Amino acid sequence: MRNISLNFKKSWKSAFILAALTLFISLGLKAQDLVAGKTLYKDNCASCHNLETNSTGPALTPKMNEREESYLIPWIRNNAALIASGNKQAIESSKYSPTQMKAFPRLTDDEIKNIIAYAKVGEPKKIAAVGVAVVDEGASSLSIIGVIAIIILSIVVLVVLGRAVKMLERLILKKQGIEIVEEERVSLALGVSGLFKNKKFVFFSVLCLVVVLGSFGWMGMWETGVHTGYQPVQPIKFSHQLHAGINQVDCQYCHSGAFKSKNSTIPSANVCMNCHKNVQAIQEDGSISVEIQKIYNAIGYDPATQTYDKTKEKPIEWVRVHNLPDFAYFNHSQHVVVGETAIRKEKGLKPTDPVCVACHGPVNTMEEIRQFSPLTMKWCINCHREADISDKRNDAFYVNVIAAHDKIKKGEKITPALLGGLECGKCHY
Amino acid sequence: MESNKKYWKGLEEYKNTPDFVASNKNEFAEPLPIEDVLSEAGLSTVTPRRDFLKALGFGLGAVTLAACQKVPVHKSIPYLIRPEEVVPGIPNFYVSTFKGNPVLVKTVVGRPIKIEVNPNGGVFSTGTDAQAQASVLDLYDVSKLKAPVLKKKEATWSDVDAFVKGELNKAQASGKKIRIVSSTLNSPSAKAVVTDFAAKYPTTKHVQYDAVSYTGIIKANENSFGKAVLPKYNFDKADLIVSFAADFLGTWISGEEFTAQYVSNRNHKSLAKMKMSRHFQFETGMSLTGTNADTRVPIKLSEEGPALITLYNAITGNNLTGGALPNNVYADKALKLVAKELLQNKGKALVVSGSNDVSTQILVNAINAAIGSYGTTIDLDNACKRYEGNDAEFSELINEMNRGEVAAVFFLNSNPAYDAINAKAFTDALAKVALKVSFADRLDETSDLCDTVAITPNYLESWGDANTYEGYYSLVQPTINPVFNSRQAEQSLLIWSDAAVQDYYQYVRNTYETKIQGSVGKTWNELLQLGVTTATAKTAGAYGFNMSLEAVIASITASSKALQKDIELHVYENISMRDGKNANNAFLQELPDPVSKVTWDNYIALAPKQAEKLGYKEFDILTVKGESGYSVDLPLLIQPGQAMGTASVALGYGRVKAGKAGNNVGKNAFPFVSFSNGTLKYATTAKLSATGGREELAQTQTHHSFEGRNIIREATLKDYLKDPAAGSGNHHKHKVYDLWTTDKHPKLGNDWVMAIDLNACTGCGSCIVACNVENNIPVVGKEEVRKRREMHWLRIDRYYSFNDEKAGHEVSKEAEIAHLENLDQVSVVHQPMLCQHCDHAPCETVCPVLATVHSSDGLNHMAYNRCVGTRYCANNCPYKVRRFNWFNYWNDSRFDNYLNNEFTQLVLNPDVTTRSRGVMEKCSMCIQRIQAGKLKAKLEKRTLKDGDIKMACQQACSANAIIFGDKNDPNSEVAKALASERIYYVLEEINVQPGVGYMTKIRNIDSETKEVHA
Repeated sequence: MRNISLNFKKSWKSAFILAALTLFISLGLKAQDLVAGKTLYKDNCASCHNLETNSTGPALTPKMNEREESYLIPWIRNNAALIASGNKQAIESSKYSPTQMKAFPRLTDDEIKNIIAYAKVGEPKKIAAVGVAVVDEGASSLSIIGVIAIIILSIVVLVVLGRAVKMLERLILKKQGIEIVEEERVSLALGVSGLFKNKKFVFFSVLCLVVVLGSFGWMGMWETGVHTGYQPVQPIKFSHQLHAGINQVDCQYCHSGAFKSKNSTIPSANVCMNCHKNVQAIQEDGSISVEIQKIYNAIGYDPATQTYDKTKEKPIEWVRVHNLPDFAYFNHSQHVVVGETAIRKEKGLKPTDPVCVACHGPVNTMEEIRQFSPLTMKWCINCHREADISDKRNDAFYVNVIAAHDKIKKGEKITPALLGGLECGKCHY
Repeated sequence: MESNKKYWKGLEEYKNTPDFVASNKNEFAEPLPIEDVLSEAGLSTVTPRRDFLKALGFGLGAVTLAACQKVPVHKSIPYLIRPEEVVPGIPNFYVSTFKGNPVLVKTVVGRPIKIEVNPNGGVFSTGTDAQAQASVLDLYDVSKLKAPVLKKKEATWSDVDAFVKGELNKAQASGKKIRIVSSTLNSPSAKAVVTDFAAKYPTTKHVQYDAVSYTGIIKANENSFGKAVLPKYNFDKADLIVSFAADFLGTWISGEEFTAQYVSNRNHKSLAKMKMSRHFQFETGMSLTGTNADTRVPIKLSEEGPALITLYNAITGNNLTGGALPNNVYADKALKLVAKELLQNKGKALVVSGSNDVSTQILVNAINAAIGSYGTTIDLDNACKRYEGNDAEFSELINEMNRGEVAAVFFLNSNPAYDAINAKAFTDALAKVALKVSFADRLDETSDLCDTVAITPNYLESWGDANTYEGYYSLVQPTINPVFNSRQAEQSLLIWSDAAVQDYYQYVRNTYETKIQGSVGKTWNELLQLGVTTATAKTAGAYGFNMSLEAVIASITASSKALQKDIELHVYENISMRDGKNANNAFLQELPDPVSKVTWDNYIALAPKQAEKLGYKEFDILTVKGESGYSVDLPLLIQPGQAMGTASVALGYGRVKAGKAGNNVGKNAFPFVSFSNGTLKYATTAKLSATGGREELAQTQTHHSFEGRNIIREATLKDYLKDPAAGSGNHHKHKVYDLWTTDKHPKLGNDWVMAIDLNACTGCGSCIVACNVENNIPVVGKEEVRKRREMHWLRIDRYYSFNDEKAGHEVSKEAEIAHLENLDQVSVVHQPMLCQHCDHAPCETVCPVLATVHSSDGLNHMAYNRCVGTRYCANNCPYKVRRFNWFNYWNDSRFDNYLNNEFTQLVLNPDVTTRSRGVMEKCSMCIQRIQAGKLKAKLEKRTLKDGDIKMACQQACSANAIIFGDKNDPNSEVAKALASERIYYVLEEINVQPGVGYMTKIRNIDSETKEVHA
């Protein structure tokens, strides 16, 4: 009960703030403006501006509140023209950074107004969301405990009821005058010892035991050195779910080597900075997200001054998830470029899926990355045996090879194996 | 006509000594210590039950525990800011220059790992030498200094600068001399830096000296033609080449370039046009060039002068005195033949001499002028700038230092404390100099005596340029940031002379843009990409010779007389060590000498009969006492072809401060060199005496015996012209049987094969080093080579055959050899031997675990992780090309040659596995290159072109002796080469169907040259 009241108190507070905000907004502006403004802001401004902190461009909320709309609209649309016209405020503003702001001639006045409206208010603070989250958490843990309690309770009830039923049965039997012979126990004990003396039974049980343990052992041995599901703790809690899943960042954006090199390449920190110079996931208390701060620490970036300090650089030591032994050669480009069609077909990927999914699994749903495939030789070989690469018939590199092959073995399915893809030296050298 | 000539891998084999017979029968060089392990306690007593159970229990427990071991966590550390051009997994290539030869440097994630040929290199684009191939290892040498040294202590650059500048100012104030001592600088920028330095400190003089000097030729050209230059030799324009002890295919001036030129008139392409040059070699020791000569005549050092006089007389009809070889009838006969042929080939002939004696070279000039070489085979107008050293200047420097006139001396790329002929005189004199600065990368012999060591980066970390020939300009560009706190010598000099431009990169660029660009036209950025640029070559002028030869002849005769005592000692540079500057390079130390196949040592070579006469046996340690009183103890090597009465010792060994690998390997032979008439003389005399000791040299020769099978096939040019298939055995084809009659394995895609032209291969060994570097082949060290455990995937077999001078024919029966009086008349064949990738590979059928199997594209694959090390395959290989890893050479403190540390391991090729102990390995036909080439074509959606894939050995070969390609492509170079009538397969009679074809060796000999020996 205490918990519930506590939760109510929390949510009440956030509900109040939400209500207050809504009231304020509905008083001053149309809600429509805010939603449209937010979309426009994300599309056009967010790559250089943050609302409350300086970035490539200055923090927007204070600026928007400071300046007149009549100044802001021409500035946003074409700041260069405004500066050229000799507007003092504009000239003043242009001194913020040597990087000149882009012009947005296509934005209508209304659109710009929407942006201004949104930027003035900014994002409703996340307090509400935090409150809700706490409620959620409480509920979920509560429900689990509740479920467990109910289960235990029902077991207890069942046992008690069962006993009661037995007692009642006995009482009824007693009343009916039937004598109860307590010989079952004796016979059970006798039966058990008899069973142990029964050689067939003993043999059979031992056999069962051996088979069960043996198969567990056998399976265990197959799993030795196989690390499917390996999910080490990474130095930065990077979420593929957020990046590849929700934000739909293309795999290649970060793993740019996969399409040209044997290595898919872990992105260097400067690639992270392309977005995270602006995307800082500001916390409730106004601080930058701890995980994003780790990128800054690695590359020696100070978000306050927006400067890089080479002396503070410290490379990020990721933990390698997919470990192939040194004696196995694997080339990403061979698979994601040359073999793409075959792999898609073999693994039944949707056209919208990146080909990477075939081996790396649903990365876009993984909070932290884990090894999806066993990466065993059997696993490699199976694909090399089965994949249909007949799409290569018209590929200049394969034309002669496949033509020669067709001459000798007509109509056989063309797989990597048929073209030598199972030979030791193709991967081990 | 099949040759039934008899070949020997070494003298042990031909003599069939009991030792050789016994060791040849055994699989192992030394008996395995099985008995020691299972000694009395083991073999004679029964293992107690308790011990057995203990061992069993422990074994089980240990295995279980080992299996429980957690997989180690691998870190993956990306760049913080990835350079745009670097993609991990894709190599980058940068042009640079190594010792004046343009090269292409392969880098992976910013570290250079391999030297390739720069295709824009023009005359040098055919190959690289062993030194260039091995040079990447020097970058990762742990024996180098990590910071500059000032007065024996590590210092900062500002301290060094303050100290040196202070001392320089003192020197200038006192008016004393400043000397910059270097080996030849062929960099225009470095020369300009020295000039700038001299402008600031006017008492400065630049002294160039080369440990192996060419002053004799330069001075001779000055005397004869008024041009103090080293000429450009055109061996490709010569149909007749006569060399007097010039090892022009190996170490003489520009071996790789001359090899390419020389071979262009002798390889399969030239032979297909029925053309082949003719080569006579007169020399003392058996040189690489000598082994390739059509006719080689051993002469004593003292006979070289008279031989040249004889030749001159015969050509010009003069009758100068001293032209007689009373004790060498063969040479006398040969010279008459040579004179006749030289006159027939006027304008298409070339005479060269390896002597550093001015008079001798003047006489050579006279001969060359008489046969019209100038303007055709010798070009004095596009001079070679590789060597400009002046022996007399260096000699004078020691006097100056002794007199106390020198206040400061700088050593740049020179190490006189090691390679000066009188190191003691040098060090004593050096002690009298106030400021001694060494530009070196390690504390070598000279640096150790200097108060400042301004450490210099490797050439792979440096900017620079080179001007090998007049009008031929190439660039040195860094491929990695300096690993240690080093600074280029040029930059140091710029800083110390307060130059306007102190950044050497800018300096090199300015030099190019202001002084050179005008004549060659390429912009700086274009040059960065090409690496090389050339100005239009000047027309080579014809020069007439009109000097009086009297003084010259007198001088030659006098020198010749002076040599006629004791044993004539020939001091020479060998292929691997050269002048000893790279002595700490383990790849070079383990590169077998092309002729003697000795690694990790120098030795004294004597002719077999000579050794017999003196009562010495092979490997006896002899004391060699030179004229100057210097004496060393060296093991004896019996060398057929060595002239009687002479001995040879290689330079470049005996370093004491080179580093881990190079220290105390062999003995220093520089003190045997003498100085007379203004030049260094590599011909001297010595007294020999036995010490009673014996030391087995680490030879790779005779390790892998062929049991006298017919594996070398050769023909004379005359026979070849009549019948191109002469000697190849192609007239009688063996019937081909197939083990797999029902299940044929057609090679549907590619069929990777190789053709090797025995007439092009000179045996220089650069392919061996290229293979080592490319395939992470470990260096095993002297002890292991003695145990026949060298790991080279590719070796070059050298075979001797002998001519019976009395019977007048080649020795074809083993019995005949015993009757030979003289083993001088030896001819040599070099045969590169590597995995033959047999279609019926005997190794494959005996492997119990299928670790070695055949591929559909004709390769014999070796899966290291499958191999359990039974070594059945090696036993069953008829070519003996499989190598077994007895140790983890790259991670074992007992083999601390070079690779046993994380820094040097950066040189490893990431695309090739480092093999573990207990695993068999062999040539993979650079499968990583094949796969990479195929993938590139696949990604670009195009067919694979001939030449897309090049083997490491192939691209290093200046002679283009190795041709690799797809046999299924009828237009490929290799398919055409394999169609040649000269092709034969080694041991084809045993039906293993090798994938490597060899072309017969053709010798341009005829009845007249045979007459020489008769």
